[in-house]
Amino acid sequence: MALSTTVSQRKQIKRKAPRGFLKRVFKQRKPHLRLESRGDLLVHLNCLLFVHRLAEESRANACEDKCGVINKDHVLAAAKVILKKSRG
Amino acid sequence: MADNWDSEPTIRTVLQRVLDNADSRTPRRPRSSGAGAQRTLLTTSSSRRLSSRTKTSAKQRSHGVRSIGRLAHIQVIGNLKEQTPRTLVENILITAPKSSILTPEAMVKPVPALQVVQPSRRESSQGSLELQLPELEPPTTLAAGLPASDRKKQRLRLSVFQQEVDQGLPHLQEHPENADAPSLTSSFNLTFATPLKPQSVRRPGLARRPPRPRAIDVGALLQDLQDNSLALAPPGDSLKTPIANLPSDTVLEDTQPFSQPLVGCSPSVHRSLPNPFPTGTEDAERTTGDRTQSSGPGLQNHKVMEAEESQETMETEEPEGSSEDENTSDRPASPQLASSTPRFLQAKRLHSILEPAPPPDVAVLPSETREPVSARLTPRPRTAGSRPRQDSYKAGLNHYAKLFSFYAKMPMERKAFEMVEKCLDKYFQHLCNDLEVFAAHAGRKTVRPEDLELLMRRQGLITDQVSLYVLVERHLPLEYRQLLIPCAFSGNSVFPVQ
Repeated sequence: MALSTTVSQRKQIKRKAPRGFLKRVFKQRKPHLRLESRGDLLVHLNCLLFVHRLAEESRANACEDKCGVINKDHVLAAAKVILKKSRG
Repeated sequence: MADNWDSEPTIRTVLQRVLDNADSRTPRRPRSSGAGAQRTLLTTSSSRRLSSRTKTSAKQRSHGVRSIGRLAHIQVIGNLKEQTPRTLVENILITAPKSSILTPEAMVKPVPALQVVQPSRRESSQGSLELQLPELEPPTTLAAGLPASDRKKQRLRLSVFQQEVDQGLPHLQEHPENADAPSLTSSFNLTFATPLKPQSVRRPGLARRPPRPRAIDVGALLQDLQDNSLALAPPGDSLKTPIANLPSDTVLEDTQPFSQPLVGCSPSVHRSLPNPFPTGTEDAERTTGDRTQSSGPGLQNHKVMEAEESQETMETEEPEGSSEDENTSDRPASPQLASSTPRFLQAKRLHSILEPAPPPDVAVLPSETREPVSARLTPRPRTAGSRPRQDSYKAGLNHYAKLFSFYAKMPMERKAFEMVEKCLDKYFQHLCNDLEVFAAHAGRKTVRPEDLELLMRRQGLITDQVSLYVLVERHLPLEYRQLLIPCAFSGNSVFPVQ
């Protein structure tokens, strides 16, 4: 029939979501709010996409400078752009 | 014949008798099995030179030689065409030739000699086991003769071995009567004469190895028990138990075959322990029972109590609730901290969800060990308390920063790495704020997945072309996908429920 609402603990999920960490962070910042069980998975997805975009942008910056290594400045510039985009 | 059997009423003799009686009815496949038999004989006797010769000779002579056929039957160790009980019994009898392995040199000489007698033996006994002494005799004569008829060397080899080792040459010479001694099966009977002899060689194929890693079992078990006495005390969450057992995680992982499923400590300890250490479980249970019941060392008691308490707290509250406890109580002692951080690190290694556990452990521990550590507690209430939280938060950010370096596919500087972590921190802040706004806008105090979807839409991740489920499919592993994307199941049910 239907699957369980939680993932079986014995499963070895690759690229696991740090659900506990996310929930704890949310609780620390907004203790009066509650986060749903499936919500933190979507938060994890959001983080992944954010990091993905950030990485793409920094890589583009680094390649623009014809630098083989990603520098702090590249990341900084990329972060500015992406954070603005992810403002919502 | 009968005397022979009665004198040695061992299982082997009985089996042999059965086999012989049965064989007389079905002398089948002399040739093919003959070749195989000779091959097996070779392996047992370890004289390879004769193999080629015996093979060829076997093909020539295998016809109509019931003894050979029987030997072939018996010696079809590698030949698994027919796995009847009879062949198995035969194999048993074959594998236990006591003297065959012992004196390989002696085999060479008597083998050709035996082969001389072999033709004479051929038609002889099917079912009748002649006297041992007469049976011994033909090999001696053969040994004396040493003709170059190596065709049945293999077969004779074994018999000669047995004879030589069992009886010694003088014995063999005593009875030169049996020219037509029975077949090789009778030669196998020779071994029956001395069943006591080489215990070491007995049934190498069927030898059961004693459970050797006993010493390791006990040692590892004791160590596991020391650390896992907590795990056994509460029957509850698999999640909780590893927290208390974190210092012993390394030990657990070493001893147990699976490292990952250590999440469920108490069930897994019981489950995995019996698997490799079947004998040790009783000791484990006994010792653990002793530990939990008896006073034992004070630390262990504290550990047990603390584990129980921590587990109770965990069971009652959410992990973040317990982390709040830790934040508010904030009384880590330095030793507990020191233990908590390695514990925490080990927890992170095992299961990221266990991260909140060590801080509650730390919180509970001081309550338990208040008296001894109160002196140490007072000088540093605040600084030590914030450290585990910082570490866990940092660790979480680290998780995503690693993903960054993976996505970037380019080498990064360390400063850039730290920069990424700062950005993530800022991002989390923004995220929480936005979610709060969205939930408040919807008049809720709980953040729902719809809020998340709205956020992603506003971020431009979700468009009319790209839906949420597409992103979920792309980036999340299967288990999470199943939780997030509604799917229809049988019985007109949808999971997850909408």
